[in-house]
Amino acid sequence: MIAVVGLNYKTAPIDVLEKLFAGCSREGNFPAVLKAIPGVHEILHLSTCNRVELVVSTDDDLRVLDLLKSFLVRSGALTNNEVSCIYVHRDEDAIRHLFRVASSLDSLVMGEAQILGQVKEAYRWALTENSTGIILNRLMHRAFRTAKRVRTETGIAANPVSVSFAAVELAKKIFGSLAGKKTLIIGAGEMAELTCMHLIGNGAEEITVANRSTVQAEILAEKYHGRAVGLGTLDEVLCDADIVISSTGAPSYVVTEDMVRRCLRKRKNRLLFLVDIAMPRDIDPAADGIENVYLYNIDHLQDIVDENMKSRRRESLKAEQIVHEEVAQYFNWLKELEAVPTIVSLRSKAEGIVRMEMEKASSWMGSLESEDRDKVEALVNGIVNKILHAPMTAMKEESAEFQSQDIVAAARQLFRLDD
Amino acid sequence: MFAPALACCVLAMTGYLLSLLVKKVSLARGSTWILAASFVFLSLYLLLAAFHSTGWDYFGSRHFLSIYAWVIAGIYLGLQFKTKTRLLGAFIVPFILLLLIAAAGYGSGKNLVPPQWQSWLTNLHLVLAIAGEALFILATAASAMFIIQNGLLKRKKPGKMGRLLPSLGELDRINHLGLLWGFPLLTIGMIAGTVYAAFVWGGQWPADPKVIWSFAVWAVYGFLLHQRLAIGWKGSRIAILSCVAFLLFLSSALVIRFCFATVHNFI
Repeated sequence: MIAVVGLNYKTAPIDVLEKLFAGCSREGNFPAVLKAIPGVHEILHLSTCNRVELVVSTDDDLRVLDLLKSFLVRSGALTNNEVSCIYVHRDEDAIRHLFRVASSLDSLVMGEAQILGQVKEAYRWALTENSTGIILNRLMHRAFRTAKRVRTETGIAANPVSVSFAAVELAKKIFGSLAGKKTLIIGAGEMAELTCMHLIGNGAEEITVANRSTVQAEILAEKYHGRAVGLGTLDEVLCDADIVISSTGAPSYVVTEDMVRRCLRKRKNRLLFLVDIAMPRDIDPAADGIENVYLYNIDHLQDIVDENMKSRRRESLKAEQIVHEEVAQYFNWLKELEAVPTIVSLRSKAEGIVRMEMEKASSWMGSLESEDRDKVEALVNGIVNKILHAPMTAMKEESAEFQSQDIVAAARQLFRLDD
Repeated sequence: MFAPALACCVLAMTGYLLSLLVKKVSLARGSTWILAASFVFLSLYLLLAAFHSTGWDYFGSRHFLSIYAWVIAGIYLGLQFKTKTRLLGAFIVPFILLLLIAAAGYGSGKNLVPPQWQSWLTNLHLVLAIAGEALFILATAASAMFIIQNGLLKRKKPGKMGRLLPSLGELDRINHLGLLWGFPLLTIGMIAGTVYAAFVWGGQWPADPKVIWSFAVWAVYGFLLHQRLAIGWKGSRIAILSCVAFLLFLSSALVIRFCFATVHNFI
C-alpha cells in the first residue's frame, strides 16, 4: 500500500508548519530514521515551507500510519489540537495527491515552478539515504513525468500571477530584451524593490533610485549596485530611464505629464514604460496619452493578474485530466505487481521440478541420441508451459481488475509456493 | 521545383494563420521551417532557370515575380536568425504567396523585358527595385503588427494576442532595418534605371507616369527615413506612416499598371 501522511498550508496554520519545518531539518538524516520504523518498506520525506509530507510504501497500514503520525507530532512538538491538521491519503488518493503536488496543482500559487524542484530534492535525498525502492522509485518518476506533462501540455504556468512579474512581462512585451535597459525607481517601497529585483533577473541594468530621503535611497541603490539621487533631480534621471517604477507616499503627482513630454523629446521618442504602484497615484494618468509612453498603474496590473489567474484555473481542469490518466496508469502497474512475484515463483518452481526430473532421467536418457534428448526436453517444457499458461494469465487478468488477492492466494496455496 | 515551393508556401501560410487562430507560437515556429523549405525549392528553381537561360530571357514573368517572392522570403528568414519574431510570417507570407500564385499564372521562359531594353543596367534596375520594395513590405508588415500590439498595450489588455505578437522594440527595429536598407537599394535601382533611360529612352522619359509615381513614393520613404534617423520619430507614428506609405506605393503601382500607358507595364 502507498500512503501519504502530512500537513500543508490548507490544513495547518503557518506557525505549525514552521515548527515542523524547523523540527525536521534539525533531525538531519530522517529518511534513515523513518526507514527504521518497523513495517515501513520505502519512505520519502518532502518538507517545504508550505507542506511537510511523508510518502510511504508499507504492507501494514494502520499501525505504520500511526507511527508516522506520531513521528510528525514529535518532530514538530505538536499539541493535541494541532494533531488534527494531519491528513492521511491512501492508495489511489495518495498517488493522486503526490502527482498533484508535483504538478503544482496543490500549491498556494497554482502553477508555481518551485515545488517540482523541492520534490526532486526530497527524492534525491531519499536516494542517497537509500530509503526508496521499486515502488516509490517508479512513483516518483511518474510524478515527475506528470508534472512535466502538465507544464508542457497545459498553460498552467504560462502567465504571471503576481503584480511584479506582470510588470516584468509587460516590459518584455514593450522592449523585447531587457538587456541594457535602465531602470529608475522612485520611492523606496517594498513592491518597487520586488519588481526591480525581477527586472534585474531578466537582464535590466543600471538601477537609479530617487527618493525624498537619500539615505534610504542609498541603502536600496547599494543593494542593486545602482546610484541614489534626491527627488530634486528627478527631471534629469527620468530622461535616462527606460523603465520607471514609482511607489512614493506623495499626496500629489511626482511625475507630471509635462515632465514626461519633455523627456520624450529629449530621448528622441524612445519607448518609455512607466509603472505606478503608488496609492494615491504618483504619475499623472494623462502621461499615458503621449505617444510611445506606456503607463500602467497598480489596478491595470492587478486586472492582468486576475485575468491570468482565471486562465490558470481553466487550465487546471486539463491538468487534472492528465493527473487522472497518470494515476490510473501507475495504479495499474502497482496492482499487477501483486501478481508478479507469485507468477515468478510459480515459474521458477516449475522450472525446478523440470530440472530435477530431467536429472533423475539422465541415467536412461544417456542411451538416447542427443537429438532425441533435445526432443524429450522440448516436450516436457511444452507440457509444463501449457499447464501453467492458464493460471498465470488468470492472475494477470485479475490483477488488472484490482481483484488479484484471492486468486493469487489460491495459486500460492494450490502450488504450495510458500512452503 | 516551382510546384513544391508553392505547395510549401501554402502550407506555411496555413500554419501561420492557424497559429494566429489558436494562439500558439510553436505552430508559427514550424511554419517558419516550412517556409525555409519553400525558399530552398524556390532558390533551386531560380538557379536552374538561370542555368538554362541564354541571358536576358532570365526575366520571364514567372521568374520576375519569383525573384520578388524569393527576396522577401530570404530577408524574412534572415531576420529570424536575429530576432525571435516568428509570427511576423503571418503578415509576410501572404505577400509571398500572392506573388507565387501570380507567378504560377504565367508560363515560364517568356522574355519579359522588351528586347530593345535588355541590358545589364535594366537588370540591375529591376533587381534593386525589387529588393528595396521587398524590404518595404517587411517594414510594413512589422508596422502593422506594431499598430496592433501598441493598441493592445495602450488599452491595458495585452491578453493572449499581445503575448503572441512580438515586442514593440523588436517590431520597431524591423521597421528601422527595412527602411534603412530598402531606401538605398531603391535609390540605386532608380539611378540605374534613370541612367539607362537617359541614354536609350531619349528625351521624354521623365514624363512617364511610373517614373513620376515612383519618384513620389521614393520621396515619401526618404522623408520617413529622414524623420526616423534625424528627427527621432519612433514607434507608433513611424508605424502608421510606414503603412500609409506602403498603401500609397501599392495603389499607385496598381493604378499605373491598369490605367496608364507606360514602358514599365511589361510585368
